[in-house]
Amino acid sequence: MHHPGQATSGHEQVIDPLVPSDQDLVAAVLAKDRKATAEFVARYADSIYGYVRARLAPRYEFVDDLVQEVFLAAWQSLGRYQGSGPLQAWVIGIARHKLEDHYRERLRAPQSIEDEEQEPAAPSSGEFLELLEQEQVRKNTWRVLQGLPESYRLALIWRYWEKASARDMALKTGRTEKAVERLLARARAEFRERWNHAQSA
Amino acid sequence: MPNLPDDSFFEQIADEVELHDSTPAPARLKATVYSALMLLEAAAGPLMSVNEVAARGNKLCVFEQLVQIAPVGETAKSLNYCRVCHARVLAEHFENPPIYWPGCPYVQLKNS
Repeated sequence: MHHPGQATSGHEQVIDPLVPSDQDLVAAVLAKDRKATAEFVARYADSIYGYVRARLAPRYEFVDDLVQEVFLAAWQSLGRYQGSGPLQAWVIGIARHKLEDHYRERLRAPQSIEDEEQEPAAPSSGEFLELLEQEQVRKNTWRVLQGLPESYRLALIWRYWEKASARDMALKTGRTEKAVERLLARARAEFRERWNHAQSA
Repeated sequence: MPNLPDDSFFEQIADEVELHDSTPAPARLKATVYSALMLLEAAAGPLMSVNEVAARGNKLCVFEQLVQIAPVGETAKSLNYCRVCHARVLAEHFENPPIYWPGCPYVQLKNS
């Protein structure tokens, strides 16, 4: 929900003299103004919730705890907010780190990455860009992602939406890079199979 | 769609398909987060006194107003009163709690 004076996107901010700016709000929260703390939560809860929920779907049972962790971490780091960008983007950055912790924890589970499977062939196609323009493709992507096993879904989101390299993922999960690449290959193959099914349905 | 996934396909699709969910945060979650932050703040030392909060132009709830006019010291005016308020309990457990007091942070969060 929009609040006057809040950052409405990553770069845009509505100016309202009656509503504290990001920096004023941060200063007030740091001064332990209880009303400012409520305003901080009211301003950013929806955007953080949506950001986290979209990345954890359909495992919504993790969302509330993660959102709370984001706010607690944000509060603990608030003194380091420099005001060089919108506070919303800064808080979303913290959410991204918390999600990365979540991916790491979930993918560290022994059953998440198995080494023995062969990497499936991954041929390319030049037709994808045209199809990406279609709303149906977006819907299918969303639907297929949600239907994937958790380890596949998290691996794909971490690798492609959060732009982590396989090497980074391997370092953070304590697995070999090869094992992560195999997981990604299986995830891509599974995505492909479900995608083709969704397209033909 | 034959021969779909390869690295470049997924990079393209991630660029094109935004992971977005417009579901608003539940009011209960907002209340829980606020309560947790207030606990942290109170654990780290006295909160800003209700006098100063009011002086900054904020609206106080009815209980804070009573504290404000009560003949007590600044220390008592810097306590986390939300912790013992039934509005907190209702807000943390009900999505649409029956609380309506002006100046109550839980009412603000319910309506946000």
